[in-house]
Amino acid sequence: MQIYLPIAEMPVNMFIIFGMGGAVGFLSGLFGVGGGFLLTPLLIFSGISPAVAVASTTAQVVASSSSAAITYYRRRMIDMKLAGVLVASGVVGSSIGVGIFSLLRRWGQLDLVIALCYVTFLGLVGGLMLTESIRAMINARKGRPAPLRRPGQHNWAHGLPFKMRFKRSKLYVSVIPIIAIGVGIGILGSLLGIGGGFILVPALIYLLRVPTNIVIGTSLIQMTGTMAVATVLQSTSNHTVDGVLALILMVGGVIGAQFGARVGAHVRGDQLRAMLALLVLGVGIRFFVDLVQTPADLFSLATLAGDTR
Amino acid sequence: MTRFAAWFTLCALALAATQARAEQLIVALSAEEVRITSNFTGTSITVFGAIERDAATVSRAEFYDVVVSIKGPPETVVTRRKDRLVGIWLNSESRTFVNIPSFYAVNSSRPLSEVTTPQILKRFQIGADDLVFPVSAGDGAQSAGQDDAFRQAFVRLKQQDGLYRTEAYGVKFPGTEIFQTAVQIPANVPVGRYVVTVYLFRDGAMLASDQSEIRISKMGFEQFTFDLAHNQGLIYGLICVILAVFTGWLAGLIFRRD
Repeated sequence: MQIYLPIAEMPVNMFIIFGMGGAVGFLSGLFGVGGGFLLTPLLIFSGISPAVAVASTTAQVVASSSSAAITYYRRRMIDMKLAGVLVASGVVGSSIGVGIFSLLRRWGQLDLVIALCYVTFLGLVGGLMLTESIRAMINARKGRPAPLRRPGQHNWAHGLPFKMRFKRSKLYVSVIPIIAIGVGIGILGSLLGIGGGFILVPALIYLLRVPTNIVIGTSLIQMTGTMAVATVLQSTSNHTVDGVLALILMVGGVIGAQFGARVGAHVRGDQLRAMLALLVLGVGIRFFVDLVQTPADLFSLATLAGDTR
Repeated sequence: MTRFAAWFTLCALALAATQARAEQLIVALSAEEVRITSNFTGTSITVFGAIERDAATVSRAEFYDVVVSIKGPPETVVTRRKDRLVGIWLNSESRTFVNIPSFYAVNSSRPLSEVTTPQILKRFQIGADDLVFPVSAGDGAQSAGQDDAFRQAFVRLKQQDGLYRTEAYGVKFPGTEIFQTAVQIPANVPVGRYVVTVYLFRDGAMLASDQSEIRISKMGFEQFTFDLAHNQGLIYGLICVILAVFTGWLAGLIFRRD
């Protein structure tokens, strides 16, 4: 069934978009990630302009992460104080990110920067995750126990000033790395239309030593807050959030996520991480190929806003 | 039904017209307004017309030629070219065309080059090749010539999107002095005022022309959403966020396991 998208100004097949939302939702439920990094490229590859794809996925991430955040909140697996600091700095980051987004769009380099960021971050995170999970799998096969994480271990991030106490996470750390992480994820999130969970979760675990049972709930709150602000900012400054597109994606996404989470409960953690790593790497490589391959058409058109419409 | 009504109007008009000119064009459109709603997947506009001769004009042996052009609202478009820089393809050179029709369709009874002379085509800007392409002030030249690479790319990309189209034998003559043609309007058309111009030729000379207008606009929900997003971005954004949180909450409620 064709449906006309009022902001993207093109008709799309509703069931294909719904299916995309559902498939990405399934994967996000399976791996416990937002799925924005899969959805934005899928939309771009299916012909929706990068500007609309990024902004509409932002709204979709709000739906999927808030849905999951509510579950974690009910189980009391969230450090609200840490989440508060992260959201506050994330909002600053989103404002910067949306500003960069508008600027790049005017210069005609938005698509390039989105592609470059995808290649860099997906390649990096995918590569790290893959090596880590393969090591864990080899250890498991040899019967060696996984190396225990010593909770008392400190790194450079713990030596910085402006310390703050987070009771729920049993942490006493400087706010500087927390703010830096929040701002960084905010910029990336609004620029790329991703929640940034796949960067935020490892950063919180390895850099700040946030306990693993708290980390996912807390990062979900950060994503919901930051992406909600990014959605509002995108619609005030770029007018590129397509509500109809976002709604179809949301409904597909939240349904898919429920099934994904059920399947995910039966798969081993290291295998799950290896699969996610391959997926992340795959998307990164796809973007890389597009960057270096001679394009089918060297020319492109962009209508400048503010004309007759 | 609309077709029938249009024919009827046409006949009525033909009877009423009593102007003392050699040849006169009477034109009717199948629709003066195109509404874009949620199930819009493009449409087709039919242009009907009659050539009227007054009694003093003798019937001549040559055939008439009719050219119908539809021009969409003007827009400003940047055409960019990718170049390779350290192995990566990125947008480098660009040219900005101002006041260029966002949509342009030309249907004619024969190929334009057979209908009339290049001078007349140029003077009346008939056909994509003879449109004037004004270039924005920053880009040097005032307008781009026919052999400009950016201009050629622009026309080619517009043709690929179905927004620039030509049908060399698109105008049909069911009777010797009655013509009709259909112009496809694809789903990705911009909204606004479209100008329909009909030119009548014989023997390469332009005898008459007629201009009318079509409005293409979004309707109902589409119009409301678009206006809200562009004029009240803050409210629109907040609605999207509330919708998202509500969807998330609802899903959690429906699929709640504990």
